[in-house]
Amino acid sequence: MTLRECYEKLQADYDGTLGRLCSEKLVEKFTLKFLADDSYALLEESMAAGNYNEAFRAAHTLKGVSLNLGFTKLFEVSDELTEALRAGEKPENDTLLGKVEEEYQRTVDVIQELQNG
Amino acid sequence: MRSKVLIVDDLEMNREMLAAILEKEYPILEADSGKNAITMIQEHQDEIAVVLLDLVMPEMDGFAVLEVMKDHSWLKTIPVLVITAESKAGVESKCFEMGVSDFIKKPFDNAIVRNRVKNIVDLFAYKNQLEEKVEKQTATLKKQYKLLVMQAEKLKESNTHIIDILGTVVECRNLESGEHVKRVKGFTRILAEQMMIDYPEYGLTQEKIDVIVSASSLHDIGKIAIPDSILLKPARLTKEEYEYMKSHTTRGCDVLNNVVGVWDEAYSKASYDICRHHHERYDGKGYPDGLAGDAIPISAQLVGLADVYDALVSERVYKSAYSEDEAFHMIVSGECGVFSPKLLECFRKVKKQFEELNQLQNKKQQ
Repeated sequence: MTLRECYEKLQADYDGTLGRLCSEKLVEKFTLKFLADDSYALLEESMAAGNYNEAFRAAHTLKGVSLNLGFTKLFEVSDELTEALRAGEKPENDTLLGKVEEEYQRTVDVIQELQNG
Repeated sequence: MRSKVLIVDDLEMNREMLAAILEKEYPILEADSGKNAITMIQEHQDEIAVVLLDLVMPEMDGFAVLEVMKDHSWLKTIPVLVITAESKAGVESKCFEMGVSDFIKKPFDNAIVRNRVKNIVDLFAYKNQLEEKVEKQTATLKKQYKLLVMQAEKLKESNTHIIDILGTVVECRNLESGEHVKRVKGFTRILAEQMMIDYPEYGLTQEKIDVIVSASSLHDIGKIAIPDSILLKPARLTKEEYEYMKSHTTRGCDVLNNVVGVWDEAYSKASYDICRHHHERYDGKGYPDGLAGDAIPISAQLVGLADVYDALVSERVYKSAYSEDEAFHMIVSGECGVFSPKLLECFRKVKKQFEELNQLQNKKQQ
């Protein structure tokens, strides 16, 4: 699987990201790095612990990273969750975390495919 | 020279993405929290060219970092560029209000980040360099100004010395010790300072008093033009001799007119007034002009009384010294000169000070 195929499978913005980061090598490097990023783990943990301030920051971080890497879908769901958490309280809409989880898992799976060649 | 870029972000991956853009041109420092950022800035204050700051961080967020930087006046020399995924309305303008130099929203474009960083770094390098220059120049100016003030002070001092020497020359010719000049200066100052307090209508200030006191040394400079046969005559002067003696006031003015331009205006006027009018009388019966009342310049009134007092309490070729009490009463009763009631009022108040100075001078002479 090529990097472009990986992005296409994620419905992510390959051309835009390549344009911004200027080099395919950098895009690949940071896409693979995304696997090691623990923002999502922190988000899940703090949601479970009811620490919504921490959860807001984790969601915000995840949103920022996916924005920069052009992971459009993951950005959309994490942005929605970020805004729902901004007040530091339990979100009214309890399906948001599930959506982020689902999209995060899908993203990680596809990137792993890339990593495995 | 500031050259380092400090990247502040709690997420390693974000720091790496920025470092990847900038590490070719700048040495990179990284801080993973607001607290560490502050420590880092403290340690590398003079090396950091720009701070790239994330806003949303645990414990100490980007705004708190900006607050601290503002309190330490770091923002004046270290520019901050905020990079954030924050989309909330008002955040950008809040950042600018707090003094950040630029604001970049995620997703960022590497080329734009590189260019904006370069612009800010160059701009601040130029600004800091200019400010440093101005600071240095201001320090130099201050130093020079201080030097000028010191020189002016020295000049004033040596001016006073020269005037004292002139006065002393006259006294010596008079076969007196030269102490008379110093004593008249002292009495004049005591009297003038009391007048300044009690009668503000004369407009005396400490500065004006300094000029009057210094110029008082020259009150008898005209005696240089009086022949020895009169000046040193150990007996009573004839009427003609006395008339000639009186001309020391106007002759003194002639001397002073010849040195016009050496002193400033206040000084010239004071010495002229004192020289010419220190033998005027409040009732108009003095000389050389017969001025009456406050038509006599206050400087001459002050020196006139001081001169009479010192003449009375000192021994002269033609007389022995009177006691302090005798001298006091002779002046107050109008037996020896006629002075303004206000001046006499002050004289009464400073009687003791006059006596203290007189005794101090007598002790010195012995």
